[in-house]
Amino acid sequence: MFDFFIHVASIACLYGVLALSLNLQAGFTGLVNFGLIALFGCGTYGAALASGMGWHPLLGLPAGIAMAALLGLFYARLGRKLSSDYWGIATLSIAEIIRISVTNEQALTGGAQGISGLPLLFAGLKPYDGVARLALYAAVLALVWLFCQRLVKSAFGLSMKLMREEPQLARSLGYDLDRIRRVVMLVSAAIAAFAGFLYAHYLTFVGPDQLVSPETFLIWSMVIIGGIANNRGVIAGAFLMQFAMAYVPFVKDALDLPTDFVAAARLIIVGGGLLAFLLWRPKGLFPEKVGGSNGR
Amino acid sequence: MAGKLLELKDVSKAFGAHKVLDRISFGVSAGEIVGLLGPNGSGKSTALNVISGFLPSDGGEIRLQGDNITNVSAQRITGHGLVRTFQLPSMPHRMTVREVLQAGASGNASLASMLKPFRFDDELDELLESFRLTHVADLPASALSGGQKKLLSVATALRSKPKLLCLDEPTAGVHPNLRSDMVTILKRYRDKGVAILVVEHDMLFIRELCSRCVVLDRGEIIADCAPRELEDNARVVEAYLGKAVEKGKVAL
Repeated sequence: MFDFFIHVASIACLYGVLALSLNLQAGFTGLVNFGLIALFGCGTYGAALASGMGWHPLLGLPAGIAMAALLGLFYARLGRKLSSDYWGIATLSIAEIIRISVTNEQALTGGAQGISGLPLLFAGLKPYDGVARLALYAAVLALVWLFCQRLVKSAFGLSMKLMREEPQLARSLGYDLDRIRRVVMLVSAAIAAFAGFLYAHYLTFVGPDQLVSPETFLIWSMVIIGGIANNRGVIAGAFLMQFAMAYVPFVKDALDLPTDFVAAARLIIVGGGLLAFLLWRPKGLFPEKVGGSNGR
Repeated sequence: MAGKLLELKDVSKAFGAHKVLDRISFGVSAGEIVGLLGPNGSGKSTALNVISGFLPSDGGEIRLQGDNITNVSAQRITGHGLVRTFQLPSMPHRMTVREVLQAGASGNASLASMLKPFRFDDELDELLESFRLTHVADLPASALSGGQKKLLSVATALRSKPKLLCLDEPTAGVHPNLRSDMVTILKRYRDKGVAILVVEHDMLFIRELCSRCVVLDRGEIIADCAPRELEDNARVVEAYLGKAVEKGKVAL
């Protein structure tokens, strides 16, 4: 049971990093990205590429970040021509195109079978390897949180919020909205790819099933439920959602429910939770703090 | 027009077949406050939108400090020193008044400087005080009244240290006491060399503030004179009150 707790907490940390990435885009800048999972996938496939090519595993990180940066810039470029909602649809479509391409490509990605046998971090530290990994993921989460906090509380953070709410006012004051979009997409793409790289070396397997669009909506539910534009809130959302979904099988066993219950209950937790919060508590469990910039 | 900070030459704008600006030409010098007047639909706000890059022009040339800014994007024009406000300023829900005002300072800043920690400085406090916004400084900007939002938008534009400030009806909905404060503040900035182009209907405000008025009617300039000369200008009277049908009478 302890190992299971460590496992769920480890995954929650990595999803917390992803939620922080989405929060920079959607929470603070108003970039409604439904294709976040593709940026995460750049990180997982970066790790897989390094493994497949026989490189040092750490080289998978810059490879993943470079791919995510390119994709992030492409998303940002699309944002120049598309309004917010159409941009969201475009990002979802691109993420799906990438997933389908990866599924059908064999040489580099291993197709639908994916790539397995990636090295597991701290495998030599048994029986403390799980705790060591959790400590690493928690440290990464803390560092990314600190970075995001500094960013959103800076003058650049003010420009992100102004773009989110009053783009016309931002333009009239000289803010280059394309540059803001580019920087936010680059930074958050790198963060998502970092999470992907760690995830790949945790599961030791990379496959296209990890890139399905419900994964993006799971991250959205973490952000909405935790508190959009609140960095602590979205981490809380990531832990809440991960633990809620992880403990569904125990509820099934306790109540002697059919196996189908697990998949259905997880969908209900994500979809129902998202809907309930959007209707009754749209600011989430930890609402955004107005006036939290660094100035005083 | 040599030496003008802002120069418009034969600037035109049409929406379909409807000509909104028909080859208008005028200039604004540094340290000058010019009123842009005219009845509703005369093209004042369109002129401001074209000058500030929010609408492309169909013809003509606009220069700011000698640089051609015709059809340059709004944010780039701000880099040349032109900042504008809007007729109906909309303010963010999740930023405080102080934060919005601070945002006025970094519009053209480099990315590196924007990522450094900042502090709310004395200049920001002075602007809050001047525009009587100190007591609401930590409220969400959207919570302000319509008049206060106007004041905040003017203060935010001034925070960006413009060379030319374009104001679109800055006093609509503003309390008369604050309106006279605004005259004092804007004249103070004029004395520092800031040029101001103001679209306004309030003639009292125009008389107190402006040294010159440009009057538009149906997209054409019909007068360019001192405010006190406006009432003696037959074309201006006709544009505002209608055509005189008989000596001593006007058709309303």
